[in-house]
Amino acid sequence: MARIIVVTSGKGGVGKTTSSAAIGLGLALKGNKVVIIDFDIGLRNLDLIMGCERRVVYDFVNVINGEATLNQALIKDKRVNSLSILPASQTRDKDALNKENVGKVLEELGEMYDFIVCDSPAGIEAGAMMALYYADEAIVTTNPEVSSVRDSDRILGMLASRSRRAELGLDPIKEHLLLTRYSPKRVEEGEMLSVEDVEDILSIPLLGVIPESQAVLKASNAGEPVILDTDSDAGKAYQDVVDRLLGEKVDFRFLLAEKKGIFSRMFGG
Amino acid sequence: MADASIEFKGTSFTLSVLHLKTLLLADIRADLTKKVAQAPDFFYLVPIVVNIEKIESSVDYQAIKELIEEFNFTFVGFTGAITKEQRSFIRKLGFSFVNTAKNTSPEKAVATQNIEEEKPVAVVTDSLAHLYSDKVHRGQVRSGQQLYAKGQNLVIIGSVSAGAEVIADGNIHVYGALRGRAIAGAKGHHKAQIYCQNLEAELVSINGNYWLSESMEQHWGSPVYIHLTDSELTSSTLI
Repeated sequence: MARIIVVTSGKGGVGKTTSSAAIGLGLALKGNKVVIIDFDIGLRNLDLIMGCERRVVYDFVNVINGEATLNQALIKDKRVNSLSILPASQTRDKDALNKENVGKVLEELGEMYDFIVCDSPAGIEAGAMMALYYADEAIVTTNPEVSSVRDSDRILGMLASRSRRAELGLDPIKEHLLLTRYSPKRVEEGEMLSVEDVEDILSIPLLGVIPESQAVLKASNAGEPVILDTDSDAGKAYQDVVDRLLGEKVDFRFLLAEKKGIFSRMFGG
Repeated sequence: MADASIEFKGTSFTLSVLHLKTLLLADIRADLTKKVAQAPDFFYLVPIVVNIEKIESSVDYQAIKELIEEFNFTFVGFTGAITKEQRSFIRKLGFSFVNTAKNTSPEKAVATQNIEEEKPVAVVTDSLAHLYSDKVHRGQVRSGQQLYAKGQNLVIIGSVSAGAEVIADGNIHVYGALRGRAIAGAKGHHKAQIYCQNLEAELVSINGNYWLSESMEQHWGSPVYIHLTDSELTSSTLI
């Protein structure tokens, strides 16, 4: 059976879709069969970030309503054979989703894939609850910023109490902290919360730290998940995240501000 | 630290209370004889508390005790809203004075009877503080979560996040940081206390008396316990 991983946060705009795309693609590049599901009905953007927005014929709601089969709706990624996307509906309502019909789709997907990455919408309402309900693991995406940390804490409470595992008294969802848009320089200057500050408040194991990077915007606009930009800090950091999810022990990079050597300072950069 | 061989506990018992309306021992004896005859087994060795509230003149406590014991009741003590002097006088004689849990309103008087037997009332021994058991929660209390330890103390092994609420009728212990709200003594327990390893709370309250963060500046970030002295909240460091 597949590992169902929800990428959630509470707060909006912290990097859930960016991370879902990067991590999903990274897992597939390592030889795993991966499907990424966009749970943000009505505000879909996973297809944009993945670069397949022109190939969406059927979507998640079509499958739920029996208007299309899974195979018709799933979009195979052009870069990696073992990666597919299930896009969200843009015109329909999220009320089409309920626990039973979502559960059936996940069960069917579970037999076809090794990993199911659920890209959650922001908030704590039905859409987000549906995305986290069936999860085995959760990547709680957090910016080192007070409102994001507070909202992540809230969503952690929901993961512990409103998920299927919680309701049935099974082993709890495995929680991971993904700290995104981290700027070591600002942390050193005392402007930004540090990794330790966030870990102290949230008390969940750290999966990765993604540095603030201009590469992310470039990647979104190009429809190429940032993990493919192997020169960028963000791309490298996402690669480390994928390795850790697959069980490797990887040291955390990009935590300290770069000390510029005399030559780089003289010659710019 | 518990004593090895003994333990004191506060417990409620149901006891029969005999309300006296007269001091005339002869009348009391006559009415008691009639009553006991109705069900002698029922009354045999029954613990009796004597309520002397309605008697205005001075009471011959010794005589009443002996009269009660004539009928093979087990005499427990006297009760009723009386003066401090009467109480100490009773004690000096070697008898107990027992407090009721609440004020019992007078039963409807039967005119011809001089004595009245009341339905059994619960009498709570006052000598020991009301001891609560602990409700233990392992793990973080997340923002938006609310825990209520009804009729218990609350022990949290973990931290309480900002935006979370922990409430107890008794004390609250947090083995971690307290960043949310802690409300102790929620049903009116004035002696409730709040303990934590790191005070960063939004609000703490004991029996309705509360502090917001601004009042916690003195020990902010330290391990503290918070209690009421008179009706003022006080915080003291734990170490």
